[in-house]
Amino acid sequence: MINFIQFTLTRAGLAVITLLLVCFIVFSLMELVPGTCAERYLAFKNTQGSQITYEDIEKEKIRLGLDKPFLYRYGKWVSNIVFNGDFGDSCILRMNINELLSGRFTLSLTICLVALIFSYLIAIPVGIISATTKYASLDNTLKFISYLGIALPNFLVALCIMLFMTVYYGDTMTGLFSQEYENEPWSSAKLFDFLSRAWLPIFVLGWNATAFALQTVRALMLDENDKLYVMAARARGISGMSLLWRYPAKHSLGPVINSIGFDLNRIFSALPIVALILILTEAGALLIEALARSNDQQLAGAIIFLLTATIVFVNFITDIILAIIDPRIRKGVMGGG
Amino acid sequence: MSHLLEVKNLDVKFDTDEGRITAVENISLSVDQGEVLGIVGESGSGKSVTAKSIMKLNPGNTSYNEDAEIILDNENVLQFTSKQDLKKIRGGKVSMIFQEPMASFAPAIKIGAQMVEQLLIHKNINKDEAKSISINMLKRVGIADAEKRFNQYAFELSGGMRQRAMIAMALSTMPKLLLADEPTTALDVTIQAQVINLIKDIIKEYQMGVIFITHDLGVIAQVADHVAVMYLGSVVEKGPVNEILKNPKHPYTKGLLQALPDINNLDAPLSPIPGNIPSPLDRPTGCVFRTRCPHHNPEGKDGKIEMKLIEVEPGHWVDKCGIQCGQNG
Repeated sequence: MINFIQFTLTRAGLAVITLLLVCFIVFSLMELVPGTCAERYLAFKNTQGSQITYEDIEKEKIRLGLDKPFLYRYGKWVSNIVFNGDFGDSCILRMNINELLSGRFTLSLTICLVALIFSYLIAIPVGIISATTKYASLDNTLKFISYLGIALPNFLVALCIMLFMTVYYGDTMTGLFSQEYENEPWSSAKLFDFLSRAWLPIFVLGWNATAFALQTVRALMLDENDKLYVMAARARGISGMSLLWRYPAKHSLGPVINSIGFDLNRIFSALPIVALILILTEAGALLIEALARSNDQQLAGAIIFLLTATIVFVNFITDIILAIIDPRIRKGVMGGG
Repeated sequence: MSHLLEVKNLDVKFDTDEGRITAVENISLSVDQGEVLGIVGESGSGKSVTAKSIMKLNPGNTSYNEDAEIILDNENVLQFTSKQDLKKIRGGKVSMIFQEPMASFAPAIKIGAQMVEQLLIHKNINKDEAKSISINMLKRVGIADAEKRFNQYAFELSGGMRQRAMIAMALSTMPKLLLADEPTTALDVTIQAQVINLIKDIIKEYQMGVIFITHDLGVIAQVADHVAVMYLGSVVEKGPVNEILKNPKHPYTKGLLQALPDINNLDAPLSPIPGNIPSPLDRPTGCVFRTRCPHHNPEGKDGKIEMKLIEVEPGHWVDKCGIQCGQNG
């Protein structure tokens, strides 16, 4: 038990170090982009017709603290996030990033996580069935569906469903809320409205993710099923479900759990394109906007930080789960225990 | 007297993408209570396939011939299809130990849990009884700290200890027949000797029948009472172990013995059997050994002669083609 606490603390420490390192890289990249926030903002104002002088830029720099050295500003940025949960202001939009993101990141994350959970809930049992079924036609059908999921681009699936919904139900299914609920506070009716629309992005993202996870589970199960210990267990008279779940399935679960963090990242990366088509107001689209169009480094940094933190956290959790289910990992990292 | 195990005219074939492969052809063997039958042969000679047939452990693409019989305790195992019947031959009346003890324990389940699981399937006992049987068995096979080992995983044990634990697990249900598939091949020579002695002791104590599969004639000489030499899925020579080792008749058996280094004359060149084992996909018809027969044998060469074991001495059976192959030279 002491060992387990030690293990958890070590992992947590490593997670924090990873996060700080990622922060540093993100912040450095923000610095590397030509021009400071002050220059960019004033250049932006210039295009709006205001007359900008060199003094204005200098004043703005001092106001934003850009005259301070790099490491000082990095420390301030990180400590503001860690201690105050404050991401500062967006450079271009002149709004507090927390306000700007409020709800949106949670919304994106919810969509991604729900898609992720669904994909694993489906992929694990179906992958096991696909790998162990006696009926080649069932395995082939499942393989065909999952190859479709991998091969069809998300946006195409989204477009097809939109087309179908528009033709048959007269609703384009865009957005996450109907108009009447768009600016309403949360209520059960709004939640219902949200769910009735959110299934589409969840389905589109989830199908693709399920297809990938299914292939992973299937390959791992086939691999594990061929191992000698499974035959040895059969030779001891173990059969049926108790053989399947306790032997190959349990032992192939480790790498599957390992891939969860990676999958979350992939789903989040796929989200902006789906969001663009379905016109969702979520954080992924905002990230693309901030990076590619408005060059809003503060906003982009904040979103990347939140995303990284989520993935680091998920990986931390999967590490703990792995140690719980697999004694080789537990005893390996904990030194005998 | 009826034998504990009697295998009659067994053919085993696998359906693969490349066609139907004959893994075992027309094998007949018997094992009595308290007797050790050694099966010797190179890799791919069908030793393991034969043993697995006794537990019906061969994969789904396997087919057996209709007139084959594997009689264990007066029941034909090949007719077994129900879960209850299969249970009897898998871990009940028959247990199997494997070459790789590490690979034959599930890595993420405790050794004790795997032993108890097996006992609960086969014996009408509760968990505590199963635990005490398991611990006693671990002690019996010479594992110190049996209580501690009971709660450990296979990767925490040394190679020799894993092999002992596997033997303990195989014996815990008191099987009548033990199938040992190269149980000592992966071990150091010193540990190999310990494990062989352990197996011999246990056979004597429990009076079980044993099929001991190996490619090592030295090991056979130590453990077996009878030996069957297999080549490409067929038994080419069988009989009492002393008779076979001292007076081999088949060129393949002779070749195997000549391929062993002579401890008194280590400089003497080893004489390997000429040629290679043909691929099972193009298994020779008739006499399987004819492609490697060192001497000319015009009748055997064209594959028209069927293989047939004939008794040359009481209890010593040799494939007819093999004798001709030797004589005509």
